[in-house]
Amino acid sequence: MSSVSPAAAPARRSGPGLFRRLVRHPLGGVSMLILAVVVLIGALAPWLAPFDPSATDLRMILAEPGPEYLLGGDAAGRDILSRLLVATAFSLAGGLLVMAVAVTVGLTSGLIAGYYGGFIDAAGAWFTALTMSLPSIIVLIAARSVMGPSMWWTMAIFGLFISPVYYRVVYTSVRSVRNELYVDAARTSGLGDARIIGRHVLLAVRAPVILLMSGVIAAGIGMQAGFDFLGLGDPTTPTWGQMLNEGFYNINRSSNLVLWPALVLGLTTIALTLLGTALRDELEGTGDKRHKAASPWALDGEVAPLLDHGDAPAGEALLTVRDLAVAYPAADGYATVVKGARLTVRRGETHGLIGESGSGKTQTAFAILGLLPQGGKVMAGSVEFDGEELVGRSDAQMNRLRGSRIAYVPQEPMSNLDPSFTVGHQLTEPLVKVLGMKKGAAKERALSLLAKVGIPDPQRAFDSYPHQLSGGMAQRVLIAGAVSSHPDLLIADEPTTALDVTVQAEVLDLLRDLQEELGMAILIVTHNFGVVADICDRVTVMQKGVMVETGATRAVFEGPRHEYTRALFAAIPQGAPRAPLPGVASAGSLGAGALR
Amino acid sequence: MLSFVSRRLATGVGLIATLAVLTFFFLQFGVSDVAQRIAGQQAGPDAVAVVEERIGVDRPVLVQFADWASSALTGDLGRSWFSGQEVTEAVMSRMAVTVSLAVGSVVLTAIIGITLGALAATRRGWADRAVQFLAVLGQAIPGFLLAMALVLVFAINLDWFPATGYTRPSDDLGAWALSITLPVVALTVGSIGGVAQQVRGSMIDAFERDYVRTLRSRGLPRRSIVFQHVLRNAAGPALTVLGLQFVILLGGAVIVETLFSIPGLGPLALNATSQGDIPVVMGIVVVTGVIVVLVNTLVDVVQAWVNPKVRLS
Amino acid sequence: MLRHTKLAAVAGMATLALAACSSSGSDDATSPAAGGSEGTAIEGRAPELRIGAVVDISTWVAADAAWGNEATYYMAVYDSLLRTSATNEVQPGLAEAWEYNEDLTELTLDIRDGVTFSDGTALDAQVVVDNLNRFREGASPDRALLDAVTDVTAADDDTVVITLSAPDPALEINLSMQAGLVASPSTFDAPDAQTTPVGTGPYVLDAASSTIGATYTFTANEDYWAPEDQHFDSITINYYADASALLNALRDGQVDISNLNSLTQIPDAEAAGYTTNSIPVNWKGLILADRWGVNNEALADVKVRQAINYAIDREGLLQGLESGYGEPTTQIFNVEGDAYEAELEDAYPYDPEKAKSLLAEAGYPDGIHITMPQTSFVPASEPELIKGVLAESNIFIDYEQAGESFFGDLLGGKWSAFAFGLNQEPLAWQTYNQAIAPGAAWNVYHQADETVEALAARIRLGGEDGAAAAKELNEYVVDQAWFAPFYRVIGAIVTADGFAVTMKSGQAVSNLWDITATA
Repeated sequence: MSSVSPAAAPARRSGPGLFRRLVRHPLGGVSMLILAVVVLIGALAPWLAPFDPSATDLRMILAEPGPEYLLGGDAAGRDILSRLLVATAFSLAGGLLVMAVAVTVGLTSGLIAGYYGGFIDAAGAWFTALTMSLPSIIVLIAARSVMGPSMWWTMAIFGLFISPVYYRVVYTSVRSVRNELYVDAARTSGLGDARIIGRHVLLAVRAPVILLMSGVIAAGIGMQAGFDFLGLGDPTTPTWGQMLNEGFYNINRSSNLVLWPALVLGLTTIALTLLGTALRDELEGTGDKRHKAASPWALDGEVAPLLDHGDAPAGEALLTVRDLAVAYPAADGYATVVKGARLTVRRGETHGLIGESGSGKTQTAFAILGLLPQGGKVMAGSVEFDGEELVGRSDAQMNRLRGSRIAYVPQEPMSNLDPSFTVGHQLTEPLVKVLGMKKGAAKERALSLLAKVGIPDPQRAFDSYPHQLSGGMAQRVLIAGAVSSHPDLLIADEPTTALDVTVQAEVLDLLRDLQEELGMAILIVTHNFGVVADICDRVTVMQKGVMVETGATRAVFEGPRHEYTRALFAAIPQGAPRAPLPGVASAGSLGAGALR
Repeated sequence: MLSFVSRRLATGVGLIATLAVLTFFFLQFGVSDVAQRIAGQQAGPDAVAVVEERIGVDRPVLVQFADWASSALTGDLGRSWFSGQEVTEAVMSRMAVTVSLAVGSVVLTAIIGITLGALAATRRGWADRAVQFLAVLGQAIPGFLLAMALVLVFAINLDWFPATGYTRPSDDLGAWALSITLPVVALTVGSIGGVAQQVRGSMIDAFERDYVRTLRSRGLPRRSIVFQHVLRNAAGPALTVLGLQFVILLGGAVIVETLFSIPGLGPLALNATSQGDIPVVMGIVVVTGVIVVLVNTLVDVVQAWVNPKVRLS
Repeated sequence: MLRHTKLAAVAGMATLALAACSSSGSDDATSPAAGGSEGTAIEGRAPELRIGAVVDISTWVAADAAWGNEATYYMAVYDSLLRTSATNEVQPGLAEAWEYNEDLTELTLDIRDGVTFSDGTALDAQVVVDNLNRFREGASPDRALLDAVTDVTAADDDTVVITLSAPDPALEINLSMQAGLVASPSTFDAPDAQTTPVGTGPYVLDAASSTIGATYTFTANEDYWAPEDQHFDSITINYYADASALLNALRDGQVDISNLNSLTQIPDAEAAGYTTNSIPVNWKGLILADRWGVNNEALADVKVRQAINYAIDREGLLQGLESGYGEPTTQIFNVEGDAYEAELEDAYPYDPEKAKSLLAEAGYPDGIHITMPQTSFVPASEPELIKGVLAESNIFIDYEQAGESFFGDLLGGKWSAFAFGLNQEPLAWQTYNQAIAPGAAWNVYHQADETVEALAARIRLGGEDGAAAAKELNEYVVDQAWFAPFYRVIGAIVTADGFAVTMKSGQAVSNLWDITATA
């Protein structure tokens, strides 16, 4: 939940803009153009075809392209062009039939099974498993031997056979939607089941259903072509597969016969598949996000001045952030999430960075670490660490600092440990690979660190997988990992937020102890004044991407100067529910769901 | 773990039983004149009656099924109505061929698909586009077209591989490898796309995971994160797709084997199903079902091995 | 491309009875060619022959055997009582000598001594009797071949007497085909008889190296009684279920000799370096079956049937359907047989105007409609071409899609006319029994005709009068337009460099011993 880039959020919708976005998509535009032409040809085939597609002419057998037969004649003296046109109609109709059956059956059964569950659910799962344990072509051949060679039946059965593709997608969507609050709310407000499904669930499954369409049509066309190529099709309905069958049979006599149907078939299936890719990019936002912004980035508006209490002690500045700006590409230009970050952390100091969710404090922390999510970029400003400029450094250059001089403790302990590896592996890997320790020594260091962060049975924790630990234990493990290199600066991003209240205090105590022992500077990102009051020497307040106030903790607590800081203090719970903050409600417009 | 596997297998047995029942009764609609077809079109009613009695279709359908099922449970799948061959022998000897094609193809698909997917996910940009386009192209081109093209180019023009036929590995290992190369390639190209896309997707997904950032914050080089952590975590979904691909490949083998004249299950299935040779069709369905269930269970087991959460619970 | 294979299978099935006694041809093809190359175990034998087949063997049970395209398989492992040469001369087989009694109702066979089956069983007269009875009483689709036989007895250890109800001019030929195959008694009740043949033939099936339905490997039978007919140490028959696969195998030179699914494959085979060997095998055309107007009243009128004959552009169809590999014809009788008359070929020149006027005379000035079956065995272009040609003479064909029960429906008289190909039997008598006699399978409405019956009685007795009667029968059938043949189509076998074959008159495949290595 933590690192979806802001740009993905607005992309995750279909609706009226979808078509336009598809056209603009590099693959979508071309493939839609090809498909439009093919569909048009198919639809108009009866009027476009210059000859009856099954009319034979003994004189035109395998005729070369000429004024009469524009693409030449086939082995029975029929006009290849006319046959190609009509075959296009039949082939497309077959593909569409597959899609129609698959959508109708899959959607209906998925909706019903997902919404009501019970035995319908079980039956659906059973049918799905059945279709997945037998190659569909065997079923189609069997059906053909029972029902005769009918293209329509074959395609309808194939549609039924692949309907579980839709069933599963719809079923899963309905399941998740069903459990969401608004459906419950709709139910308690007295809406009927049918209307609930109609209004909410259909809306939710629209995207995946559309997404699968082109793939299913392509699969239908491909299956039909293969089936017909084996000579299993219905000879009265010319299709691309049949033309290819006859074509390969006479390939030495005339290559025209293979060329045209292969070309149209290939182009159509490629276009359908590419369209599927484009659809997925647009609907799910999985595409390459580095598309060019409409306009160059620029800082809009003035950055408010920083109210500095001016009580900074004399001491060497370890980290200095000046006028840092961070932006993400968005549909119309850039979304700037950090506008003017200004911050100084001295050696050995514990510095709190406080602000509401979405104020940009975590983004500031990531920018310092050089670990901004995909698409995020430092647009302006500088980050100076121990006299070195960090902005503009390559990943490899950053790696010389990360894990040795700068360390990081994340907010959510569970998601920040790789579930596939043991705690021990994750602790020792950087020690060996980054610090160049021997394996045995690394293990010893890890065990002692685990003991140091207060884990009662270090060996057991060392051998455990993350899911076997509690949240507090996991956070201790992460802290142990972070301090394992004796860093100069530890950036802790809401290190206690995800933990129980009792554990929170223990973790803060641990951080304090470690700081005293190792003499490192800590930058704590938090929204909690309690945390700041507990361990911070100094504090900086951040609002909507801008630092607004900084000073010694005591000074800021006793005399907050900025209106926002005062509002934050006013919102500290004192028995009553927290009221919305003035001037904060709009913070969500930056994409509150995506930012912390 | 053991109970998990046995539960999976039990479901599989139920599935195969359902499959067998459905197939048997569905095929009944198509066999009204099967005895006539076996006896020959000019055979008189008495000759047809002899055949009907021999293959037992003069009995009620339920009796026929009970008979089939009880012998099937003892491992006897009967004899082909047409060739008289023992079904177990026919299916097993051909299954070996088809499975070697499918396994070869799955292995090749896995290697190429994962490499391409990983490349697309890590490089992004134009490399991503190129890999995706190639994958899509492979997916879009029907297998039979590709098979024909491969034969024309690599067997007939270049003469690197035999155009048709199959050599048993026990006869000549080198010739065997040559004889399955083109069919395996024809089968594989179409399935690479799906796997590559899946690997790309789950790797990109894994890249955005919090633990990747944390690992990076500890100074680990990107490459070691990709190869150890991201790939390992993307392996689960990729395995599932590979398992699904296996069934699709079995189906694709029907067409490819026919075009390459390879004595696998494909031509047998094609022939038996269109003739209405119920014992053979049933044998193919049951044995294919067993193999698919085994493969799916295997996928689950490997899945558990990759994912400690499943393994340890 | 399965349907092309099926077409070939149909052609094979239509081969009800084959071969002939007409020995007009003079080339002696059965010379025991001493091909072969150095380094083989037996002098005069080449190491290997790879045969491409377009039809799989349906059963190895001799009593159920079919012939036509499947003959190669049977000739490898079995011997028949008699043999026919490439020119259809009857020759000794497992019977060293044979003799009719005076009124042609008793045939005495002298069985060869010292022959053993591949399982070690010795061949004797009783085994032959059992085999013949099994064929007569079994389920073979072709058991009518021995319809005239009333009794078979073993006079002594090596003499078999076959008693007939009436003379059968085709009996000797029938005994050289499936009806004369002799299998070991050990297979009679064996459960695996369908897949495991035991014969006396020149080769033995190597089951371990074979895959049923795909590849069959045979090794030379070292105890064979006629080693001069074994030209190879081993033979492999590869069955190609798909026409494209066979073409690819040819293009890649993977077979030494092969049948073809279709004559259109000839240019491909020749481009790949193969030599084409051909001989007329089938006639193709329309069978105007409903001559009594059971389903289609119009066809009862001889003028309508003649009109159909005039409406056919034989040369055009030959080019269009067979790429010109064949000869236009109006007759269904074998060119080399007694019944053939060259002048009859001009009976119905292509003349749409004449066809229309005949239709008008018959009372159909606006033309007629005929419903015919269309199957997936035949490329869809074929019926379309036929339809297109006939439509020019106001003869309109409506195609009806045939299901899996096509043959049952066809032979049951569902369609009053249909396009088909039938073998050109060597003997007029065989052709009569194939398509003209009241009981003939391809006289699907089983109509009897007095003129025909009288002529048939004379043909049965043979001799000069029989030959004359055969000509009269041909004239009558052509004049009455019972059929509307298009052309005689050739059967073609392609051979690779280093291999040769002598084609067998009227048969889709040659005698196995007529395939030799020349290198």
